[in-house]
Amino acid sequence: MPVIVVLALLVAAFLFAPVLIVVPMSFTTSQSYAFPPPGYTVGQYVRYFEDSTWYIPTINSFSIALSTAVLTLALVIPAAYAVVRYRFKGRAFANLFLITPMLVPTIISAIAYYKYLSFPKLVGTHLGVIMAHACLATPVAMLIMAAALKGYDRNLERAAMMSGAGIFKTFFFVTFPVLRPGIIVAGLFAFLHSFDETVVSLFIAGRAASTLPKRMFESIQLDTDPVIAVVSTMLFLFVICLFLLQALLRRSQAHAA
Amino acid sequence: MTKSMKPTTRRTFLKGSAAVAAAAVAMPNVITPSRAQSKELIVNTWGGSWTAAENESLFKPFTAKTGIAIKTATPVTYAKLKVQVQTGNYEWDVSNANPPQLKLANAEGLIEPLDFNIIDKSKLRVPIYENTLGFIALSTLLVYRTDKFPNGGPQSWADFWNVEKFPGRRCLYDRAFTCLGYAMLADGAALDKVYPLDLDRAFKKMAEIKKHVRVWWTQGNQSQQLIQDGEVDMIAMWSARGVESIEKNKMPGQVVWNQAESYGSGWYVAKGSPRKEAGMRFIDFVVQAKPLADFCKILPYGPLNPDSFQFISDEEGKRMPTYPAHAKIAFTPDADWLLPRLHDINERWKQFIAT
Amino acid sequence: MALARRPEIVAWVLLAPATIYLVILFVAPLVQVLILSFTDPKVSTAHFVRVFTAPLYLRTLGVTFQAAFTVTVACLLLAYPLAYVMARVKGRLGIILLAIVGISFWTSFLVRTYSWLIIFGNRGPIAALYETMGWGEMPRLLFTAFASTMGMTHLMLPYMVMALYAVMSRIEDNYVRAAHSLGATPFAAFRTVYFPLSLPGVINGSLLVFAIVMGFYVTPQLLGSPQSRMISQIVAEQVQDLLAWGFASALAVVLLVATGIVIGIYNRVAGLDRLWGD
Repeated sequence: MPVIVVLALLVAAFLFAPVLIVVPMSFTTSQSYAFPPPGYTVGQYVRYFEDSTWYIPTINSFSIALSTAVLTLALVIPAAYAVVRYRFKGRAFANLFLITPMLVPTIISAIAYYKYLSFPKLVGTHLGVIMAHACLATPVAMLIMAAALKGYDRNLERAAMMSGAGIFKTFFFVTFPVLRPGIIVAGLFAFLHSFDETVVSLFIAGRAASTLPKRMFESIQLDTDPVIAVVSTMLFLFVICLFLLQALLRRSQAHAA
Repeated sequence: MTKSMKPTTRRTFLKGSAAVAAAAVAMPNVITPSRAQSKELIVNTWGGSWTAAENESLFKPFTAKTGIAIKTATPVTYAKLKVQVQTGNYEWDVSNANPPQLKLANAEGLIEPLDFNIIDKSKLRVPIYENTLGFIALSTLLVYRTDKFPNGGPQSWADFWNVEKFPGRRCLYDRAFTCLGYAMLADGAALDKVYPLDLDRAFKKMAEIKKHVRVWWTQGNQSQQLIQDGEVDMIAMWSARGVESIEKNKMPGQVVWNQAESYGSGWYVAKGSPRKEAGMRFIDFVVQAKPLADFCKILPYGPLNPDSFQFISDEEGKRMPTYPAHAKIAFTPDADWLLPRLHDINERWKQFIAT
Repeated sequence: MALARRPEIVAWVLLAPATIYLVILFVAPLVQVLILSFTDPKVSTAHFVRVFTAPLYLRTLGVTFQAAFTVTVACLLLAYPLAYVMARVKGRLGIILLAIVGISFWTSFLVRTYSWLIIFGNRGPIAALYETMGWGEMPRLLFTAFASTMGMTHLMLPYMVMALYAVMSRIEDNYVRAAHSLGATPFAAFRTVYFPLSLPGVINGSLLVFAIVMGFYVTPQLLGSPQSRMISQIVAEQVQDLLAWGFASALAVVLLVATGIVIGIYNRVAGLDRLWGD
């Protein structure tokens, strides 16, 4: 049995170790990809915060991802509610339909949006990117929302209704608070999906709405700037924080339901 | 009008611009005060040390003089120009390119005709080519690491092709007409007989070396990173980047001027750009003697404005494609010959690379 | 309320925003691509003919399928032990492993691809290892099919682990224990009891990874060689460099159909609504 555990740990190490490399890399003094770094400095971090070609895409990514999360939730919460709570013809189809953006290879979505959004002059605008990202984040948010709704004890609602509360009151004071952690988690992942989204952004973000992944991709191709390691490290820490947050939220939802 | 821009010495260049100047003397010297409503201009640039050099020598002085702020956009691709003009979505306003591309762009109606109300033709000292202003003489040439070849490295394209005598990792520029030119030379063609390209002969020669070329670079900084990090031992790269890698970044290497591909690159304004007035002012500014000289002092390309040389020392001149000894042993791509064929050559090249 | 007696209406009203949104902003763009593949620059099937007859594109299709297959197999071999241990171990180790897989899953493709760029680089840790061990010069690793495949395997591993784990976590310990008590060796118990029970997870994960890798762009573009290029890269090049919308669309349609077939098989076998097993 221990052999298999050793194997598992090796695989886990293989999974985790490469990303850890970007952390010391972000402190390198050299302008190249040399690893181990010849020297350590926080200079690269300073450069990141001073360089508008980096912090503007960062701000763009945050605002776009936030808007995407809000829009996606607005679309997905009622949709998930419908699919989980109601039995109707076409339910399976609706379920499948809302998942399809995840199944289409991103390069295809990318060129499709590039063409489709250029006529209404939405290429290179924040709005265009948000609209595309909301589509692409819908499946993830949908799955999480559906799972949250499924794991939710309906007796709470029934109890409230039997005590005289109407549909809307029940929803706002019973359903919603209990679902809130699930909603936040769905929103978090929609946010992250948009924040990390690379391929579609490469085609439609343009210059004005350039996102962080687009900037990173171009930087990797154009120059060997160690600031990429800085961004990578920060993204990695960001993901860890989000992951812990969603773990806590899922726990609290499980307790509440 | 010059047919194709060669990095010539001052004399041959002067012949062309003298004709231009003579014609312009008759015209009243009209420079309209700036109608530039735009307070900003977006310049397409190659990034890295190119943009840094532009910043120092061109952008800052231009902004100081006119109050127009400069923003940059990368990368430099022909397709981007085309898409911009076609869709009316402009990511950048001005850019520069090599003669074959400029000829094609002008033929396809992608370049804004030079506005001589803004550009003072009579004072212009650089060649005008296909609605662009000549900027610098640029060479793409062989650079190798001297620590990999302590007994002397390749001195010609035939040497580059000779994998037994000069073993090592190779890298070429992913641009069809450049590599095909090298292939002709490696196959024994004389310097003045490279064009017209014998395509079948050149592709056949390319096939010999292809398997030894693991990387094809597309971006200037990438080429510097590859040779500086030792990912490759010999490379075809832009001359000033090569010089910078060796002198500034302390890479042990050697620039080989023999059989370099040289041409003059020009600045242009994208057709229909909403900021084209600012664009015209910009390209007029950057080809003036001092800004151009400042640029070439940072990145040693050869200025196409002869007056720039008064600011440039002899030592500096020796690192440039315009240095007579270098210009003599270089070849220039024939843009007229390439014009009708460029598309097909690029297609065939893409297929070639991928198989 | 009358509405309460017609749940379908309520349901579709709730579904309307998302559905309409996707139709306008997802289906329509794709339909446009489909149309372009037949009509740009003129109405014909010439693009499709070219895709299937020009050696370059057939070769690319082959390379893509081969890469998808290799990555799937590699992921399977690596993920199985990890998922197995995650499913059967109790306590802190299980949580740590789950966290590692989860965090890797959510770390962007770009960040992870970049880390491989450093690792495989000529001045990276592998080169340093070669130097300290005195093994001579490191073979070229960057910008090769190997680097691209390795990178994709690393990126897809969490998907495979999660797919396997979803099924394995439901396999009762009792089954294997029963086999043991009946005299089976550990290996026989595994072969005849555990592995077959885990097979749905194997199939799920394999199909999922295969479908995703077929459409990969970032990793092969940044780590691979020109010869290891996959369909998505050719599509991107046709659009970005050549503005060849018709042909790019045709390639995209072919990729879409191929992916659709794989996903269709997945739906048959596993059911898409059980994607994460919950």
